[in-house]
Amino acid sequence: MEFLLKLRNSQLVNKLVLGIFLFYFTFTTTANTVNKSLYIISDSLLTVDNTKVPYLTFNDSPTYNQSNPIINLMLGDTLDLWIYNTDNISHSFVIKGVSAVQSIPANDSVFLQEIFTTIGSYIYHDPSDFPKNTYLGLAGMIVVKNHNHASFYWNIKEHNSDWNNQLFNGNTVNWNQYDPKYFTINSVSNPNINADPLARITGQVGDTLYLHITNTGLSIHSMHFHGYHATIKYSSKSSAHVGREKDTFPIYPMETIVLQIVPDKEGEFPIHDHNLVAVMGNNIYPNGMFTTILITP
Amino acid sequence: MIKKTLFMFGFLGIVISAVAQQVTLTNIFSKMDMNPQHVLWDGTNTMLMGFTPLMMTPIDIPGPTLVYTEGDSVELKLRNMSQSASHSIHLHGLDVDQWNDGVPHLSFEVGHNETESYFFKAPHPGTYLYHCHVTSSLHVQAGMYGMLIIKPQNANETWDGGFTFNKEYAWMTSEIDTVWHTDSIINYPHDTTTNLRELPDYNPQYFFVNGRSEHQLIDTNVAAITAKSNEIVLLRLANIGYFGNRFVFPAYLNAKIISSDGRPLPNVVISDTLEILPGERYQVLLKSTIEFSDSILVSYFNLNTQNTENTQMIPVNVSGSVSVFEAFTSELSIYPNPVNDKLFLSKFTGEFLIHNVTGKSVIQGSVSSTNSAIDVSELSKGVYFIKTNKTTTKFIKN
Repeated sequence: MEFLLKLRNSQLVNKLVLGIFLFYFTFTTTANTVNKSLYIISDSLLTVDNTKVPYLTFNDSPTYNQSNPIINLMLGDTLDLWIYNTDNISHSFVIKGVSAVQSIPANDSVFLQEIFTTIGSYIYHDPSDFPKNTYLGLAGMIVVKNHNHASFYWNIKEHNSDWNNQLFNGNTVNWNQYDPKYFTINSVSNPNINADPLARITGQVGDTLYLHITNTGLSIHSMHFHGYHATIKYSSKSSAHVGREKDTFPIYPMETIVLQIVPDKEGEFPIHDHNLVAVMGNNIYPNGMFTTILITP
Repeated sequence: MIKKTLFMFGFLGIVISAVAQQVTLTNIFSKMDMNPQHVLWDGTNTMLMGFTPLMMTPIDIPGPTLVYTEGDSVELKLRNMSQSASHSIHLHGLDVDQWNDGVPHLSFEVGHNETESYFFKAPHPGTYLYHCHVTSSLHVQAGMYGMLIIKPQNANETWDGGFTFNKEYAWMTSEIDTVWHTDSIINYPHDTTTNLRELPDYNPQYFFVNGRSEHQLIDTNVAAITAKSNEIVLLRLANIGYFGNRFVFPAYLNAKIISSDGRPLPNVVISDTLEILPGERYQVLLKSTIEFSDSILVSYFNLNTQNTENTQMIPVNVSGSVSVFEAFTSELSIYPNPVNDKLFLSKFTGEFLIHNVTGKSVIQGSVSSTNSAIDVSELSKGVYFIKTNKTTTKFIKN
């Protein structure tokens, strides 16, 4: 009897139960083939002050949207992806760190198939003439998860409208003198970020929430959370950062991170770039990278 | 008997009431310079907005460092004497409730000649910030910021059961673009009817550690580190500027990065270089085993171009020594604490003895560099002490 009691309390039993659960989970969760299409479309970005800036995005339909789509996959899924270039110049496509670069002539298409076996966030983009085409908007996010918790997605970026005009007119710019004026999450700025359900973090006390961030701009950003610390679950820059519990998260150009937030109290709290210049939009405060997290009881 | 019981309840009531009313009160003033008074390294004077500990104290950057002990119930009373804009205090990293978070449109702001209080319980030991969150891009640049430090009960530990140290320094980095500090930008009418505010481009000319730069960092003691060899220095770092900082420590200091944003790092990082982005804080342990003089370099890099635009040098002077025994003793640390199953001894090899609060020995053994774990899973819940030939340290068994 004493032996059984000890056994019941031992870590071995806990590990056994966990093992059975993982075994069950692994063999009852089936990997799927996910079919997606992306359309390269040249159009414009409507900024927070209604300035129209020449812009390019990948779109999930032939209809233009100024925000690149997020491709959501479960661990083990196979992505079958067609990329159609509707622009009148050639582009290319790559999933950073995953696939090989494929060139796409004007008005042509390419097919790509990848199996995703590592959780995380990945950047797909046009690497041709880098950073030009990525800067001009051709960069989005692929998310690979192994859970069904509420997830939110930020593709963060900055823009200099003069540069977009220069580059679309075939001129060159000095990348060493980059001075952006607009700062966006999923291609919009405050106060419009909170209207994007993919970006605006909402949940209840005790929920496990995930935030997937990609920086497809050229600047370093430093995102600060009010109200809660979050835990780094994935970092493309350094696996040594995983497990760090912080309130401010630097994210370098072309870096991706995944954060886990477990709110311990209700409330509405800001999340914003702590480079406070990036909280402005064309020099107007607070029309930049500023949103709020809303947690209910 | 009844009288005795009533007396005991009465006494208990008084004690509970006294404990409940134990609040640490800090007064702080928000002000604005009427004339440029802050002296920059080249003799230029500039205007600031800022926080001061007393009404008559001139504004300096950073504002007063607020220091509390973990668990303190704090009332931070802000008296706004700014003559113009309203202000607030955001307790950056403390994760306080929404009302006390200092963001105007989500809680409150304090108008001219008004006084309001922020209430919070001092959380995890570590290094934090406070700053105004009204038109934050402007008010932070104007100088409305300071450091906030939470210490554990044992003030010479980084956190309960963490690293011990002999002395500490706190450095806050920032920049100033003097265009933002002109009367027309900084001194705008009190207006709470609109959030929108047009501000200039940001091109700072002055780069600070604790509000000083260039020769000021050598002429004054605002940042310079002096220590003895084998002494352990805790360096608290916070970046409230809009540029990135890159710290380069002399190799002799054996820099060990131990925590960030008020939380221990899962793995200590040993590196002579540390980047700190706006809003981040780090804690670094420094220890030299030899005497030497050198500088810690702080570079300021533009977050858009990633170009380094300035570098400041802070003197470090290690002279004299404390004994290796003394330093070793202070360096002993255990983790985790509280502990469930295995207790680890860091930087210690040799014999140990664990005794309970009555002094009764409960576990005896030794740890080596390859096996530093002690199985305490069989111990009952409670407080214990682990004793080595160097020191005795308290821990809690869950």
